[in-house]
Amino acid sequence: MATKASHIPRQKGETLHDGFLRHAGFKWAKIAGGLSLIVIVAYLLIDVTPRHNGGSWYGYTLGTIGLGLILWLTMLGVRKRKMTDGRWSLKAWTSAHVYLGLSLIVIGTMHTGFQLGWNVHTLAWALMMLVILSGMYGIWMYATLPQALSNNREEMTQGQMLDGLRAIDRQLHDAAQPLNPEQAALVRMSLEEDPFGGGLWARLTGRYRNCATLAAQTGMRRWTGSQPDTGNDPLERVDALLEKKQALLAQLRRHLRLRALLEIWLYVHVPATFALLAALTAHIISVFFYW
Amino acid sequence: MSFEIRQISTTADGREIVRSAANEKTQISIGRSSENDIHLQDLAVDPMHAEIEQLGKRRIRVRATGTLGFDVDGKPTLDAEIDAGKGAELRFGGHRITVSPGDEAGVVLTVQRVEAVSDASEEKDEVRSFSLAGTMLGKRPLAWGLALFVLLAFLAVPITSYLLRPAEDTRNIYEVMKQKGPGEDHVFGDASWSSGPLSKAHHALEGKCESCHEKAFVSVRDTACKTCHEKVHDHAPIERIRKAPGDMGLGRQVLASVGEMFGRPGVGACATCHIEHEGAGPMLATPQAFCTDCHSSLSERLTDTKIGDASDFGEAHPEFRPMVQVTPGKHPRFDRVSLAQKPTDDSGLKFPHDVHLSKTGGVAQMGRRLSGEYGFGDALACSDCHKPTSDGVRFEPVDMQRDCQMCHSLGFEMVDGTTRTLRHGQPDQVIADLRAYYRSTGPAVPIQLGGMSRRRPGNYADGKVHHAYFGAVAARPNGADAAIAAVFSKGGACYDCHTITPPGVADNANWAVLPVHQTSRFFTKGWFDHKAHDTEDCESCHSAPTSKLATDLLLPDLKSCRDCHGGENSNTDVPSGCALCHSYHMGDGAPWVSNAGVARPRTRAQ
Repeated sequence: MATKASHIPRQKGETLHDGFLRHAGFKWAKIAGGLSLIVIVAYLLIDVTPRHNGGSWYGYTLGTIGLGLILWLTMLGVRKRKMTDGRWSLKAWTSAHVYLGLSLIVIGTMHTGFQLGWNVHTLAWALMMLVILSGMYGIWMYATLPQALSNNREEMTQGQMLDGLRAIDRQLHDAAQPLNPEQAALVRMSLEEDPFGGGLWARLTGRYRNCATLAAQTGMRRWTGSQPDTGNDPLERVDALLEKKQALLAQLRRHLRLRALLEIWLYVHVPATFALLAALTAHIISVFFYW
Repeated sequence: MSFEIRQISTTADGREIVRSAANEKTQISIGRSSENDIHLQDLAVDPMHAEIEQLGKRRIRVRATGTLGFDVDGKPTLDAEIDAGKGAELRFGGHRITVSPGDEAGVVLTVQRVEAVSDASEEKDEVRSFSLAGTMLGKRPLAWGLALFVLLAFLAVPITSYLLRPAEDTRNIYEVMKQKGPGEDHVFGDASWSSGPLSKAHHALEGKCESCHEKAFVSVRDTACKTCHEKVHDHAPIERIRKAPGDMGLGRQVLASVGEMFGRPGVGACATCHIEHEGAGPMLATPQAFCTDCHSSLSERLTDTKIGDASDFGEAHPEFRPMVQVTPGKHPRFDRVSLAQKPTDDSGLKFPHDVHLSKTGGVAQMGRRLSGEYGFGDALACSDCHKPTSDGVRFEPVDMQRDCQMCHSLGFEMVDGTTRTLRHGQPDQVIADLRAYYRSTGPAVPIQLGGMSRRRPGNYADGKVHHAYFGAVAARPNGADAAIAAVFSKGGACYDCHTITPPGVADNANWAVLPVHQTSRFFTKGWFDHKAHDTEDCESCHSAPTSKLATDLLLPDLKSCRDCHGGENSNTDVPSGCALCHSYHMGDGAPWVSNAGVARPRTRAQ
């Protein structure tokens, strides 16, 4: 993964994969860090009377820089749909997006002069922070989850996972034909369970309290538990199949959970960005409306 | 009479295979069990689920044998008669059986599995199923929804409300302040635009933004402030104020020029110095920088100014120029003289502070003797003679009767235990009183002249006494002149403290005393409050114990004040901005009343 420190010294001219975080020797990290440092030092040195706020000349300067940055950062959504390479490759763009986005924490907060309250101005600041924090979470997930995702898949594609489940379902269906209606109902419960169901919370936590397959197997054990395994009892076969299905479901659900953790930040990052653009509009117009 | 059972199955590539079988029975069974005529491999179907009986040529009856029913054309039932000629659709679990008429008198039952074996086996959109998209609202509707909400709540609502407010809002701020509660506010939703709470003084205007922000996109004007603050003095003529500011630095200059471009009033406007929405509590005192923008180098731009340049009390402030009495008398002359020139202040009095404050000598001794009556200590202290004003800001003029007369008695006769005194402040009355005294009283009567005893002639000595006495009686009124001269001359009661002009000098017909004016306030351009300094000894600022002359000006100089006071951002005991001593709007009563109401400037500690 991109953030993993490479301990093999790189030869000159050797090209290894460089993630967007390490892009061009942390060029954008340095630029953004320098910018933040300048902003903080200037904040401390410039004597704004009576105290720092968005309406001082320094406040307006930071506000303008911040607005420009936010608009440019938003453009990643447009830019990522057109891949090009070179100096302004998508990777370079993403690297700049991440580090300049982080520098907005400093620029935006210094712009407020730490004067926060229950108003549209602080709403804009809070939304900006939400966007940045969700982005930080996203980077963290991108850095840590793919390895776990790959380990869990065990060389299977998503399609193969689903096909495996379907195969077990078919076998279950066939094996359950001789069962009495009560037992058949249990098997049907498992068959009719949506492997992708359970809702957002179950996806994120990986806990499926109402797992029908588990319930079916528990129910099935009422009959199989007290009988010796004779080897040709259809109930035993169904029981074994349910167990196999459970294992497959567990793998699928781990996969879904990792993917959910990988994706969820964008459901905050993108809508909060749009809300931020709206709040910024209201912030700027209102400031000059009641100048 | 027969049934034709067609089983339709679908291959993996979607091709349909139809297998047809005729059944000659009049009653056939349907179920999961393999012995049924129609065997449905469907867990939703009972092993023996239903029976179909042929009633007539085209009529059949379908009857559930167990408790589980079936659907006929979508309607659940346990028993149904069906006209095969009209056709029907039966549903058993995941299977559909279509009833249709056969060739002759037969009924065709077309059996097809219509539901997948399991949920997982149904067709799934892989991209969607494996992502979060299926479990929550999409990013796009979420984004637009949130953005729209913010724009509506924080922009559309307040602006619409602002535009729809009563066109003729004739309320002035006093009326607005009287109205309580948000219901009275004419504009709804603009409270969310406030960048911070208003100061204490303007608290009643909270939420009533349009009281000050009178027009959209027009910055707050002085007219809004002057609705209430009618009597505020201008600091200086506006033309001079405009010329006064010096170099403000590039940043502020750019901001000012941008503001000017958009019609924002610049230097001299109320809002330039008085900044609102900076938090509840007292309004922030105007910072030093707002004064020093102009005053640090005012003389460079307003060359005719009489005011010295000042940029910081601790570092660059002109020496004090107190208003001192240069010439005393009936028509005194006052002048502002820098303390650097060691000015004197002549009130017309003679008074050696050192003698009075000495720990030894006659004054101290007299004080000790009178301590029971007047509460003096071992020696006299400042407060024995100087009385503060009721507000404690400064001191009342020294009053002879109250502050001096306990020692400097003007008594001249005792009548039945009451001391008659000369009238202070009225020299003519003093002269008249002394003349009357000598006229109305005689010398003491010798003892041998008293009594009614008969005297024998030849007693010469008695005759001498008699003559001497009556001679003295006759000459007594003439003694007044000498006494009057003595009172007004050196060694007399008046002369010790006052400047006396004898009769005949300067057109005086009589003895005259130079009128006394005690200066009550030396600093006329800045505040000074003694009460704020009551933790200090008088001597730490006023070197009275060593002063020999009343004309000594005992004011502390700039250097002395700087022992404690420094500029606004200094590390001194009392960081002091300009506003601690000076008032921008001199109409507030300055410098004649206390500045207790004037906010203290911000200090570092705050």
